[in-house]
Amino acid sequence: MFPTSRLIEDRRIPWSTPEYTNYYKLGGPVQSAFIRGLLYLCRCIPFLRGGEDAASETWRQKAFDKCVWVLKEGGAVFVYPEAGRARSGWLEPKRPKDFLGKLALEVPSSKFLCVYLRSDRQISTTAAPPRGDRLRLVADLIEGKLPEETTARAISQRLFDRLAAMQQEWWKGSDMARNCGGNDVVDLKGPLLRENFSDDLTEADQEWLERHLTKKELAALSALGPEGLFRGFWRYFCAKEACHKALGRAVIVVPNGAFREIEVDLFRRKATHIPSGLQLDIRFTDDDEDKLHCVAVLRGGYVGDEQTEGDVLWSVGEVPQGTSPGAFVRDLALDMIAASNDEIGSAWKLALTEDSGLPGVLWKGAPQDWSLSLSHSGRYAAASFMIS
Amino acid sequence: MAFMRKQAVVEAVDVNTLTPEDTEKRITAGVKKYATNEANYAAADANTPYLGHIVGMGIESSNLADITMSIERQFLTKMTTKTPVSEGSAEYKLTAGELGKLRILDGQDALAATPGLSVKMLMDLGHMPKSDAYLEKVMSFAYVMATGDGWKMADALKKMAGKADKLAGAERSEALANLKTLVAQAKDYDALLADASKLAASKAKAYTNDKAGFDALTTELNLTLDKIKGVSAGGDAAAIAKLRGEEAEIRTRLKMSAAKLRVSQEVSEAAGKRRAIEDAQVSKVRAALQEAVSLAEKLSERCPWRRRKSKPSASSGRSAARSWCPCRSWSPRSRGFISGTASTRTSTASAPRSGPSSTRTTAPSSGPPTT
Repeated sequence: MFPTSRLIEDRRIPWSTPEYTNYYKLGGPVQSAFIRGLLYLCRCIPFLRGGEDAASETWRQKAFDKCVWVLKEGGAVFVYPEAGRARSGWLEPKRPKDFLGKLALEVPSSKFLCVYLRSDRQISTTAAPPRGDRLRLVADLIEGKLPEETTARAISQRLFDRLAAMQQEWWKGSDMARNCGGNDVVDLKGPLLRENFSDDLTEADQEWLERHLTKKELAALSALGPEGLFRGFWRYFCAKEACHKALGRAVIVVPNGAFREIEVDLFRRKATHIPSGLQLDIRFTDDDEDKLHCVAVLRGGYVGDEQTEGDVLWSVGEVPQGTSPGAFVRDLALDMIAASNDEIGSAWKLALTEDSGLPGVLWKGAPQDWSLSLSHSGRYAAASFMIS
Repeated sequence: MAFMRKQAVVEAVDVNTLTPEDTEKRITAGVKKYATNEANYAAADANTPYLGHIVGMGIESSNLADITMSIERQFLTKMTTKTPVSEGSAEYKLTAGELGKLRILDGQDALAATPGLSVKMLMDLGHMPKSDAYLEKVMSFAYVMATGDGWKMADALKKMAGKADKLAGAERSEALANLKTLVAQAKDYDALLADASKLAASKAKAYTNDKAGFDALTTELNLTLDKIKGVSAGGDAAAIAKLRGEEAEIRTRLKMSAAKLRVSQEVSEAAGKRRAIEDAQVSKVRAALQEAVSLAEKLSERCPWRRRKSKPSASSGRSAARSWCPCRSWSPRSRGFISGTASTRTSTASAPRSGPSSTRTTAPSSGPPTT
């Protein structure tokens, strides 16, 4: 990766902005000195990511000023626009970071050379790409600041939107499924769900809870108190199942019963697949007396929230008596997809496929990367898909 | 505490006093209340999956832990002494000791997808003696998964063929385009099942991915250890504590990654070794796939307009039907078969109808999105 051929063209080597603790204190004295020397040669402006104290703030401001100086002198600065590597393996344009916008406001004549670089088999965040893998990149040069832009957020948003478009372009050439989402429904009145709880649902079999929840989750569940125990547990479970399906799309198989491989943070609306470190966004769409429904997104789009439209569509329905829930949920899914798009219009234009053991949709004879997810529990069935 | 499952309390038996067949029967009986597919449950044998509705017992994932706990409640074992996996380790394994409650530790049940595999798990963990004669009748986890996918595919194809048969005109031609793809997928999968080495190669990909993940984590652990070494020289206690936390987190991830790797390794290895029991199951699935393919292909060949024409004369009916039959133009090119997946996807993504607000992610406040 080091551009040795460009060593003599020093102005073309950008100034990097590595995180100080990640690189400047590696190994023993000899190794550390060697790495510092290498970083010096590579022209680095170290940043300090953590710390809210005055010293850390001053450090960040100084580093920012150095970047501005470099740009004003006609140099280049290399920055991760998200201030790190996304733990979901997906750049989310709806959450822009302002750093680059601020830089562009300071140096309006600067331009952004946007680069989307990824290895063909890169699924999660790792220290190095998979051995022997091929790296593909999409690049584009765009304006730093447009005349009508007056805030750092506006500039950053445009930059992130461009990067998102480049991301889409990169994924067109990939064998991996781009959209990775899942959903799960839980019928809270199902008698089998109450098996391991006391009759008044305020206590539960600890051993059974421990088979499903991590230590952090157990602590968060106990903080809900006895009244929140039953619903709280099934919220965790529902989110885990939705994440399990989303991960399956990325060919990350969570073994049956390995519930603790996924750790859910209901407050932050995030889940982490512990072995890979991948982070997913979760959202409860139904949370009432009768049922829970959760959607999860690993990559491919935005899960959505109360303010911002998401890229996941879903439908939850009651299974008519005497109908097979499996058949019902499949019809529900096709009807929902057809009704969500004017070009499709009718469910008969679609077909369900079970290729690779995962449900998928065929339209005009071609498999669609819509990340269809099916779920049923007791009286309810639910389906979701992604339209990004 | 009174749990609702108190109704199901059974007397635990020393698993060593039972034959594998009896153990299997008890395991199957123990999950009866969770089975939602009564017909499949009634006919269940050692190789009937707990999960799934087509050939499985229809147990829902919310009861997966209950299967394991049901096994634990039913049997006693002598493998009850907790022994550390390595010196100073908090992790432990169970070794021979006093007769007591059977415990299935975290991850040990990852491959127990059928009653037969549950018995195999008990044998592998030393709770009961290994019986090669019994294990000959138990399909490996790899083939439970592989045949399960085949059943699902055959079922989807049959259902689609049934739907397409009821359609006519443009609707039918669209349905047949999809059916053709399903047929191709089913044929590919049939070919994969036919060749154990091909199946093994496909499963080896998952193993390679998991191995790459495991190796990447090992690299990450080494990096963190390097950071700790670097920070230790400066004596920054807070930074050291933070990095130690990171190290512990990576070690947990590494442990889980290793468990996952064991599963994919086992699947990858077992997929290449096909025994008589697997051959028999594979033959059944292949027959179902071929039957579904044949049904779908017959449908594609048949012209619905001729069949539904009302009493045409033997000579003119045929040609009259042909003159307006939409099937005449069913060449892949003319019906735009697989014409630009990307563009059709883009248009779908860019033009989603605002549609039923209940299914849109932006409308949670307008009431529960149920139908």
